[in-house]
Order: sequence, then C-alpha cells, then structure tokens
Amino acid sequence: MKNTFILEARNVNKRFGGVIAANDVNLQVKPGELRCIIGPNGAGKSTLFSLLCGIQRVDSGEIFIHEHDVTHKQQFKRVRFGIGLTFQTNRTYQDLSVKRNLAIPNPSLAHSKSAHQQSKERMVMALKGFDLDPQDETRACELPHHKLQWLEIAMVLAGFPDLLLIDEPTAGMSRDETDRTVEILKQLNDHGLTIVVVEHDMHFVKSIAQKVTVLHQGRIFMEGNVADITANEDVKNIYLGHAH
Amino acid sequence: MNSKILHLIGGGADIGTSRTFWIGFIIVVILFALYPIQVSEFRASNAAYYLLNIPLGLGMALLWGYCGVLSFGHVAYFGIAGYTYGIIAGNMVGNSFGLIAGVIGGLLASTLVAGVFAYFVFYARVREWIIPILTLVLTILLETFLGQTAGYQWRVGSVLLGGYNGMTGIPSIQIGSFVFMGYSFYYLCLIIVLVCYVALRMLLNSNFGQVVIAIREDPLRTEMFGYDIRARKWLVFVLSAVLASISGLLYVQWGNYITPSQVGLLSAALPVIWASVGGRSSLLAVIIATLILNWVNFTLSAQGNQYAMVIIGTALVITMLFFPRGIVVMTAEWIGKFTNRSNNEATH
Repeated sequence: MKNTFILEARNVNKRFGGVIAANDVNLQVKPGELRCIIGPNGAGKSTLFSLLCGIQRVDSGEIFIHEHDVTHKQQFKRVRFGIGLTFQTNRTYQDLSVKRNLAIPNPSLAHSKSAHQQSKERMVMALKGFDLDPQDETRACELPHHKLQWLEIAMVLAGFPDLLLIDEPTAGMSRDETDRTVEILKQLNDHGLTIVVVEHDMHFVKSIAQKVTVLHQGRIFMEGNVADITANEDVKNIYLGHAH
Repeated sequence: MNSKILHLIGGGADIGTSRTFWIGFIIVVILFALYPIQVSEFRASNAAYYLLNIPLGLGMALLWGYCGVLSFGHVAYFGIAGYTYGIIAGNMVGNSFGLIAGVIGGLLASTLVAGVFAYFVFYARVREWIIPILTLVLTILLETFLGQTAGYQWRVGSVLLGGYNGMTGIPSIQIGSFVFMGYSFYYLCLIIVLVCYVALRMLLNSNFGQVVIAIREDPLRTEMFGYDIRARKWLVFVLSAVLASISGLLYVQWGNYITPSQVGLLSAALPVIWASVGGRSSLLAVIIATLILNWVNFTLSAQGNQYAMVIIGTALVITMLFFPRGIVVMTAEWIGKFTNRSNNEATH
C-alpha cells in the first residue's frame, strides 16, 4: 500500500535511562500541511525532532521521509531527502557575515530537483518577508535575536527543503515579531512548503496551525484542529496549567 | 574568469584584503627573493630552514585554525615523509629516478598513514578533545619505535635507520646534475611556500573552504545542511598531513639527516606554538610566527644557548594571556580598526 505522507513516524520509541522520551509515537504529516506540535516542558517535542532528523537514533520504530525508510540513515543523508531543521537554540554561524551564512547551505544536495524553481521562489519570499539581504556583510552576532531566528529559517530554506521542521521559532520574540513570523510561514506554506513547528506560545499556535498534535510524557496525547485542542479539558489540565 | 581567480586569492578567508596589503605583500616577496644576494650561502641556507617549516605551520592553520581540529602529532607525517624519502632515495643512489621516487614515496607513505588514522578518528565520530591525544600518541609511538632502531639489523636495503642517531647521508634532490643546495635550495623553499600559501588561500575562499569554516563554527548545524562533515574533516586532515610531509621532505634535503627527535614531544609542540602565537585562524599570521620563532630558536641554539625553548615557551604563555587569538591576528585587527576609523573621520 502506497502511503501519501511526506513524513511518517511509526511506533517510534526512545528512552534515556529511566526517562521515556518517545513512547510509541505515530506521526503522519501530509504534503502541504502546517502542523504544530505542542506539549509541556519535557514532553519530548525536541527529542522527536532529533529522532526524525537522525541526530538521535530510535530504539525501535521506523521513520519515513517521502516514503523512503530513513530509520538507519545518517542525519546528513536524511537532509538530502528534502528535510530542513532549525534548532531550538539559534545555530546561525555567529562569527560569519549574513552573506556567508546564507551561502553555506548547498541547494545541489537537495533531493527533489523538480521543485527547484518553486524553492527559489520560496527563498526570495522568505528573504523579502524577513527583510534579509543576501549581500549583507554584517556579522550574524550583531543581529538582534528575532533577526537571527529568521536568518536560520532562511538558511535552511536556501538548502531547498520541501519539509521544514522548526523548533520554537518565536521564543523570545515580541508580539509583532511573532505575528510577522506567522505571516511568512503561512505564505511559505501556501507556496507548497510543508511545515512542522514545535511551539510553546499559544498565541502563535492559534494564529497559525491547521492541525495540532499534543505530546505528553513522550506520548501522543491528542491530535486535532486548534479549536478542539484548546477547548479540550484534558489538554488544559496537562498543558495550559489547569486553567478554569 | 580572471576576476573569479582574483576573488579566490584575495577573498576574506585570511587577513589582508586591501590593495595596500597586496602591494606590501609583493614588496616583501621581492625582498625575500633579493635576500640571498645580500648574504652568504651559509645564511641563505639558514633562512631556507625557517622557510621549510612553513608548510607544516600552514597545515596546522588549515586543520586547527580553519577546521577546528587540533592535531598534536603532525610532525609524525613530517617524519614519515622524511624517513621514507631517505630509505627510497638512499637505496636508489645513482638511479636518476631515485630522488623523484623518494619524494613521491614519502608523500604517499604519510598520506596513507594519515588517511587510515583520520578514517578511524572521524568516521567513528571520536570526540573533539580526544583527537589531540590520539595524534600525540601516534607520534610518540613513532619516536619510540625509531629510537630503538640502532644496530645493523635495522636496515632497509642499504639504508640504516640509525636509532637515536638518526638516518644520515640522505641524498639531496637534483635535476640532471643540478643539486638544490645553498642559494638554489633557498629559492626552492621560497617558491614552495608561496605556492602553498596562495593555493590554500584559494581553497579556503572556495565553497569547499567556506564549508570547512562552517564546520569549525558549528559541526551539527553544518551537517544538518546535508554535508558529510566526516568526509570533509578527513580530507582536510590528509591535506594538512601532506603539507607536513612537504616540510619533512625539504628538511631532509636541507640537512641530509633526520633523527627520531624530529617526531618527538618537543617537536610535536612546536607547530602548535607557531599557530597559537601567530593566530591559527590566519594563514599569513602562522607564516610570520613560524619564520620568527624558527629564527629565534635557530639563532639561539646555534650560539650554544639553551634558552631557546624557554623563550618560545614564554612567547606561548604571553600569547595565551594577552593575545588569545594570536599576536599577528590581533595586531592586524587593531590596524584594521585604526584605518577604518581614520577613513571614517576623513569622510565626515
């Protein structure tokens, strides 16, 4: 049976000693989705991302990107299947100029050559939306925090992925900056980019997500649209701090 | 096309990108080219010794400064190349291909050892801080082995390895009946140093070099752009070992001998010191430091002075305390700031 998911995790498990970081996780993302993954601290959101990208290996289970089994592939090889990741802590090259930061990713390593033109358009869109100049000689460490977050997203897009995993992009951003981020990510999504975002900020989640996955103690607790998730009493209990 | 090459040579991967810098650079090169005319053959030969260590220093800059991998044992490749050359050329005396075979054999032998060693280190994803220890162990092993090769049973063909006394009578390279020694050897070293410098600058300004720098800045981030960083680190390691071998080959031409102390602990520390004092993130800074520190060392040692290493050690301590990015690099930064400020004032 042919599955139609751009990213799929099947029965993924991961333990760190006594801590269960991923407990039988099944995640399915369709092409063109904009998915949010939420959950309290320590729910295993970032671990799930590093399992999907291969930074950490699963104890059991399987991971598919574009229907390719990548469970036993090294991280740089998974990237070549068209997956792009930004990290929870900003990992732009602080000592290099914006120009050189944007020149490091190599589009020719990307998997899908067919989507080249589309990827280029996305890149132009992101640079414009985030107000970044690819010829800018400013060192990255001189940029403000939100600009760095945007720069890292733009860098990942320069590698021409068709699936973008973003880990807490708006942490530490002002409301205006968050709204701008939402706007650009929506534009990119409209232009065919599949996006999965881990986020804490409910304002962000409410304004962006089509579908939300709730992680709790390494397990998928609930999946559904934003309204259902935010209305759910159990989700409120575990995540929204017992709101009444 | 031409401007592309110029960009590769003059790009920002090393200090000095202005027109003034390049004019100064060319003047200095001309002064170096004219130097032998002023001095005796003996002094030219001494200067050649300072020059011949530069490829080894450049190898350290490439590997440690630009790729972020510290090797404390690059003299191993210096020694392997030197000894292999001695064995091959010594056995083929009289054969016109002997010397070329020695050079090629020396380069191949150290490349092979570096390639196998680096494969295990990088493909096993050994942690960064263990690499200096492993490299140091390799070179000390080599020193210990070579040290016990005294005696007639330790010979390869007609060449004796010679234990702690070392291998002697290593033939100098020649083309036809022309032997490189004295003045001509000085020019050979000068040309090799220039070629190494320009080629490395081009490499580091190319896409390959930019990714190498990105690996130094953040290996995981770079890998998550789809680069196989193991392969790149491997290649950089081998390339820097080749540079060390070039120095080793020139060294045995210069003195016609090599001893195990060339791959010992003290020698192993020297390239690391040259790179630290000059500033490992700049090729030119390491060249300058290599020249000056070798001159200091050689001059003091030649006078029978035992303080050479104390002075060089002091230079290292001062560098680490007051010039963490290297004396030459931080001076260049200071000059850069100064000229920028005066330019700004001129425009206001």
